[in-house]
Amino acid sequence: MKKHIATVALTLLVVGLTVSNAVAQKSRRPTRNAPQNRMNTANSKSVLLPNRSPLVSFRILFMTGSANDPKGKEGLASLTAALLAEGGTRTKTYAQITDAMYPMATSFSWQVDKEMTVFSGTTHVDNLEKYYSLIREILLDPGFRDDDFQRLKEDAINYLKTSLRGGNDEELGKEVLYTMIYPATHPYGHQNMGTVGALQALTLKDVRDFYQANYSRANLVIGLAGGYPADFAKRVEADFGKLPAGSLNRDAAPLSQPRLAPGTQIEIVQRETRSTALSLGFPIDVTRAQKDWPALAVAASYFGQHRSSNSYLYQRLREARGLNYGDYAYIEYFPRGMFQFQPDANLGRKLQIFQIWIRPVEPQNGYFVLRAALYEYDKLVREGMSPEAFESTREFLSKYVNVLTATQDDQLGYSLDSRYYGIKDFPTYMREQLAKLTLADVNRAIKQYLKSDAMRIAIVTKDANGLRDAILNNKPSPITYNAPKPKEITDEDKVIENYKIVVKPADVTVVSADKVFQ
Amino acid sequence: MKLLFVVSLILCVPLLALGQTARKAFAYDYTVDDLPNGLRLITIPTDYPNLVALYIVVQTGSRNEIEKGKSGYAHLFEHLMFRGSEHYTGQQRDQILKKAGADANAYTDDDRTVYHEVFSKDDLDRILELEADRFQSLKYDSAGYKTETRAVLGEFNKNSSDPEEKALEVLRATAYKQHTYAHTTMGFIEDIEDMPNQFDYSWEFYRRYYRPEYTTIVVVGDVNHEAVLSSVKKHFGRWQRGNYAPDIPSEPEQNEPREAHVDWPSDTLPVLYVAFRGPAYSDEEKDPPALDLLSAIAFGENSDLYQKLVLEEQKLDSLSPIYQDHRDPELFVVDAKLKDVKDLDYVKQQILDTYKRYTKELVPQAKLDSTRSRMRYSFALSMNSSEAIAGVLASYIGLRRTPDTINKLYSVYDSITPEDIRKAAAKYFVDKHRTIVTLTTKKEVAK
Repeated sequence: MKKHIATVALTLLVVGLTVSNAVAQKSRRPTRNAPQNRMNTANSKSVLLPNRSPLVSFRILFMTGSANDPKGKEGLASLTAALLAEGGTRTKTYAQITDAMYPMATSFSWQVDKEMTVFSGTTHVDNLEKYYSLIREILLDPGFRDDDFQRLKEDAINYLKTSLRGGNDEELGKEVLYTMIYPATHPYGHQNMGTVGALQALTLKDVRDFYQANYSRANLVIGLAGGYPADFAKRVEADFGKLPAGSLNRDAAPLSQPRLAPGTQIEIVQRETRSTALSLGFPIDVTRAQKDWPALAVAASYFGQHRSSNSYLYQRLREARGLNYGDYAYIEYFPRGMFQFQPDANLGRKLQIFQIWIRPVEPQNGYFVLRAALYEYDKLVREGMSPEAFESTREFLSKYVNVLTATQDDQLGYSLDSRYYGIKDFPTYMREQLAKLTLADVNRAIKQYLKSDAMRIAIVTKDANGLRDAILNNKPSPITYNAPKPKEITDEDKVIENYKIVVKPADVTVVSADKVFQ
Repeated sequence: MKLLFVVSLILCVPLLALGQTARKAFAYDYTVDDLPNGLRLITIPTDYPNLVALYIVVQTGSRNEIEKGKSGYAHLFEHLMFRGSEHYTGQQRDQILKKAGADANAYTDDDRTVYHEVFSKDDLDRILELEADRFQSLKYDSAGYKTETRAVLGEFNKNSSDPEEKALEVLRATAYKQHTYAHTTMGFIEDIEDMPNQFDYSWEFYRRYYRPEYTTIVVVGDVNHEAVLSSVKKHFGRWQRGNYAPDIPSEPEQNEPREAHVDWPSDTLPVLYVAFRGPAYSDEEKDPPALDLLSAIAFGENSDLYQKLVLEEQKLDSLSPIYQDHRDPELFVVDAKLKDVKDLDYVKQQILDTYKRYTKELVPQAKLDSTRSRMRYSFALSMNSSEAIAGVLASYIGLRRTPDTINKLYSVYDSITPEDIRKAAAKYFVDKHRTIVTLTTKKEVAK
């Protein structure tokens, strides 16, 4: 493996050192060898964030993912990663690996998205050698055992069939929205875990072939953070240098957003459920790599900061009306949002969508809430943000970035993503960009990117046909409350309950839950 | 999709024995300041830049709800504290927190109520001022109060759709006859329904417990101790000490095994709780840490019983021990979710046999060592940010008001022998101190 230059990203390092020195005099913790002061450059194959923590975090990233699943083998990237992280190696069974991890209280996780596959784990530095020897073996000397393969294939199928279709209406709605936007022919056009049919046909040979082709030096980025010894990173790089050279996946096939047919389209997933979950969205031509991303980040945070009671949609739908648990908006993929407050790192994508997530509402309010979401979205595009909202949101985001990068594992994840997008370390990038931003920038970006004539809407509900009928006939959807509401709200409700959704009958489809991701 | 390893237990790796005893489990430097009014401040500067985690721990939980008909008020108060105060409305409060980039929330437990925020270091003084205002000058009117009691009822209703929640409620009510642990943090439903009529009592609760002598402020992060202390003195210095001490009833001796059953109105997997009376938290006595280690060894994911009932025979959907640190004697519970109701007696017997087994048999030293190692590393790995450190600390502050209890506790863990575990099991797992609760689908509903 080629030796990389030890270049320092100044901002991060200076902050890190100042703090360390200030505390060092008081600390009773044992001091360690001075760590090497290196950070990545865009060309480096590693992202290194040494510090004095007693913990060491690994993020071993491969630039491959479900977008690289061969046609007809949807789910192969995920199954390959699962088999590595949750299967045996050539010399150890999976049970032996988990047994070895037990006294260290460690684990090794995998995550597959469209373009990225990441393996991550954190160990106490006491156990670094032992832990590293395990994960090195897991990634470099896999066992590809048939019993592990059968078990994990079944897990993947059960995830699609049971967990997603049958146990999580919210995630189901969000994932269906993506399949509405990206057709099956698009590299993004299937769920990361695959499809039930394709998974059933996968063989162990498929997994071996995928590993050979994708787990290469060209696709590899090593991420390390924490109090590891001075020569450790070099050893890791040398070990992983034994992977085949390969060629970089991200350069292989250019990705572009699909050209969606104009007009609103609605897919209603029918399943036995107590409530109604809604997701709305469309593709946007902005990622962190584009200069308008911070402007859109402000708009999305103002409109629907994830799990925050301070955002506009939440205030209107939950606080003022008590319709559900929360209502949010996104400009990046954010899976598992019902389980976590902050997004996971290493879900970098060249193509993103704008998304509105309405958490489950009582079925009788489903149509009203759909109208309310569209009403508020139209209002956002029409009116943009006020100066006060702009200032407070900008201030929030420039500080909230610290919360997003609170742990060294978070910092490592964000640094890997910054490398992917070709921007500075994330907190610096955000603070600098937000400082330069004006209200005019944000309102222009809203008009430019968030105005769409191709809204896609995914709904999960029990009475799918009844809802379809109501939408197509533009039936009024009056709402009642169990407590009196201010006139401002009831007046607005009168507008919302008749808010017209223009959609052709052919564009409102009903599908049974057991047919999705088939 | 992200999946974690499920780990299983085998041989010990005794390499830790030396290193462990030398290093403190809670290795951070901290300062404890006691204000004249009884308020305690614990400050922990860390290497994590820019952020501050502020945890305000009130040593009041459902344990303090001693009057008949008044359960659930600690939790109700956790809600009321967000409705505004003398100088800030709820909305103004939201705006200040937004400008600080803050993540803010609160929770209630049996022994404590915890209010927590994480935000940028520059906003510490402002947020301490905001917190001081609600702790000293909370404001809500009768209408606002009633609205919030409905929200609490809504939360009870949401939880009540969970059969395990219901089984736990019945377990507590069956096992405790006098002590306030008889009710869950939510409270008894009849008390929750009566809350709208108890506006005046709610203020009584606030006057009793929202006092400096019950409260510990924990500040962790990119902070300077002097500055924190000065802000806390400025904003909390005038807070008046109270004079109320609750008389928590002690639970009388249990002289017979108890059982209770719940008929669940819809389809559910059968739930089984097998519990024995255990000891209260202690950082000096051997029994609580010995039972804690045993809970993982006997009933955790690496236990023989788990391997047998969950993985090999596949009779169980899940099996886990519940034995949490409490100020007063707490139950040691094994929680099993079955796949089929026909296995209920078999599984119950297997669990009881396992309890009995460890009253006679010694745990292998190797198993004890690897479990102790796992516990210690798991604790170290959990403290990976200022917020995580404060969060971990909050539960110990609720018990003993000082971080020192953690290191005392871990040195007791280090001293536990297989014989200590056997002795603790023999002392606590006696039939007359047993309570079993089952929950199954009502016969008419069962398919």
